Amino acid sequence: MMQALRIAHSKKQSRLAVLLVAVAGLGLAGCDDSGGDPKIQIGANPELPQLQQYLMPPIRIAKVAGWGKDETPTVPQGLQVHALASGFEHPRSLYVLPNGDVLVVESNGPKAPISRPKDIITGWVQWFAGAKAKDANRITLLRDTKGDGVPELRTVFLDHLNSPFGVALVGNDLYVANTDAIVRFPYQDGQTSITAAGTKLTDLPGGPIDHHWTKSLLASPDGSKLYVGVGSNSNITENGIGAEYERAAIWEVDRASGAHRIFASGVRNPTGLAWEPESGKLWAVANERDEIGPDLVPDYLTSVQDGGFYGWPYSYYGQHLDPRVEPQRPDLVAKAIVPDYALSSHVAPLGVAMYTGTDLPANYRGGAFVGEHGSWDRTPLNGYKVVFVPFSGGRPSGPAQDVVTGFLDENNHAHGRPVGLAVDRSGGLLIADDVGNTVWRVSSAKPGSLTKPGT
Amino acid sequence: MKHATITEATFIRDASLRSATKPRGRPLHRILVSFSAAYFTGALVTDLVYWQMPDVLWERFSIWLIAAGLVMAGLAAVAYAIDLAGGRQINRPAWPGVTGYALAVLLSLVNAFVHSRDGYTAVVPTGLMLSGIVIVVLLLTASVTVTLANRPRVGG
Repeated sequence: MMQALRIAHSKKQSRLAVLLVAVAGLGLAGCDDSGGDPKIQIGANPELPQLQQYLMPPIRIAKVAGWGKDETPTVPQGLQVHALASGFEHPRSLYVLPNGDVLVVESNGPKAPISRPKDIITGWVQWFAGAKAKDANRITLLRDTKGDGVPELRTVFLDHLNSPFGVALVGNDLYVANTDAIVRFPYQDGQTSITAAGTKLTDLPGGPIDHHWTKSLLASPDGSKLYVGVGSNSNITENGIGAEYERAAIWEVDRASGAHRIFASGVRNPTGLAWEPESGKLWAVANERDEIGPDLVPDYLTSVQDGGFYGWPYSYYGQHLDPRVEPQRPDLVAKAIVPDYALSSHVAPLGVAMYTGTDLPANYRGGAFVGEHGSWDRTPLNGYKVVFVPFSGGRPSGPAQDVVTGFLDENNHAHGRPVGLAVDRSGGLLIADDVGNTVWRVSSAKPGSLTKPGT
Repeated sequence: MKHATITEATFIRDASLRSATKPRGRPLHRILVSFSAAYFTGALVTDLVYWQMPDVLWERFSIWLIAAGLVMAGLAAVAYAIDLAGGRQINRPAWPGVTGYALAVLLSLVNAFVHSRDGYTAVVPTGLMLSGIVIVVLLLTASVTVTLANRPRVGG
């Protein structure tokens, strides 16, 4: 009996050793998260490595630190940044009214259903990243009549919305893109709050899953059409292709009738839309798919062609097939358009603004600012900044430059995360920060300006 | 991951002391082991259906079945530990059964991660193969255990 026990004991040790090695192997399999230099994935021809599939996809999220007193993001020489206002609840997007009033959309997504054990873990990760803030469902108005970057008035402009994101004003009609519908409100110039009930223009794809819930909104220059960015209902069709009906697309909605058509499709999550000032073409920033590697797939900035198909879910960057989608659609893949300009992988562009103001130095005019919310699944972290993509002749004309940084500190703690962008009436760049709960304003550092640099 | 470690460690510690307490009826851990085996078998079935008809519903059945099987395996380990702490005398070597079951649970844990991928490759081909291998391991383990149990006992 004793001998049997002793044998058992030594066997136990060797077996445990085998087990530990196996467990360690599993862990390592989940740790291959080191991405290459993001710079090689910026521009028209990003390098695309082989895709890999994980046992445990890496989760590398920045811990939330918040902004200390007098702490601000960092801007290059010649610019200054200060908080236009703070104390918001998860501000996601911004809109500037013709009279200069700034609308701050405070919003968060609806509660995600738990379809798989994985969704429970995803919920914890989002909580850790500060993405589980209460959904304020409201738009706050800031009025800075003196144009000095210090608003004198702050009111609740619109309340009781449903995960709003995009806003567009056409004449006296103010459109708000809730997650499930475009709603029209009457607006008079100078109004500081709207209490009138809204009128639904059209339904948008919403719950019950509503994976990518933000609906970006842009009116056509003549005001006859509204363009809506509708994100996919999954990372890569894991909720079934049926859940993707009319999603991962840019809609064109007729403002008079509310009828819509799919203007472009295969765009996984078109979070920001803007008119390129020189060509007058529609451009979009889009978030590409996850879980096939730290350097796949680069998020992008692209012109949007009428009727264009941009690959999702079947392929990325043209004809690079995604094996996670079955059945495949070779007919669609064959015509998939390669996006114009890669921003590098997992930067999560959530806002775009073409700069048509005059306050910032001349080199920023005509180009695109992009708010990069930041990565959660690669090392080193990527994004967490606002970049500038220079344009010339209606096309990007050079590498993206970092403009507003310092959202991450040297310990990889997030003080804030940039989301929506807007250009205010006096030409300042506004940035919604949904972790720092602040709206930042970037302007030229002019001698004699009322705000001191770096405050 | 912890589940597997606990399962293995617990079984190993006392494996050589197993069985011989029929008088008190079927021990709880064996019931739980049966449950987990049934869940893993169910996952193989839903994987096969998904392979033939890739509707996401079947993939979700599979991952929940595997997860439930792993929970049962964890509970079985706890129950086994309690049985032993309660002084059950087990004197028949049970290494094949314990090792086989632990291997199946470990493979199922890997399978749970594979099934947590997004899209088709959560099942085809790796997840489906793992589900199949788990069932083969469980069947072999069961047959070896039965053979050993029917063998005339040697020694004490």
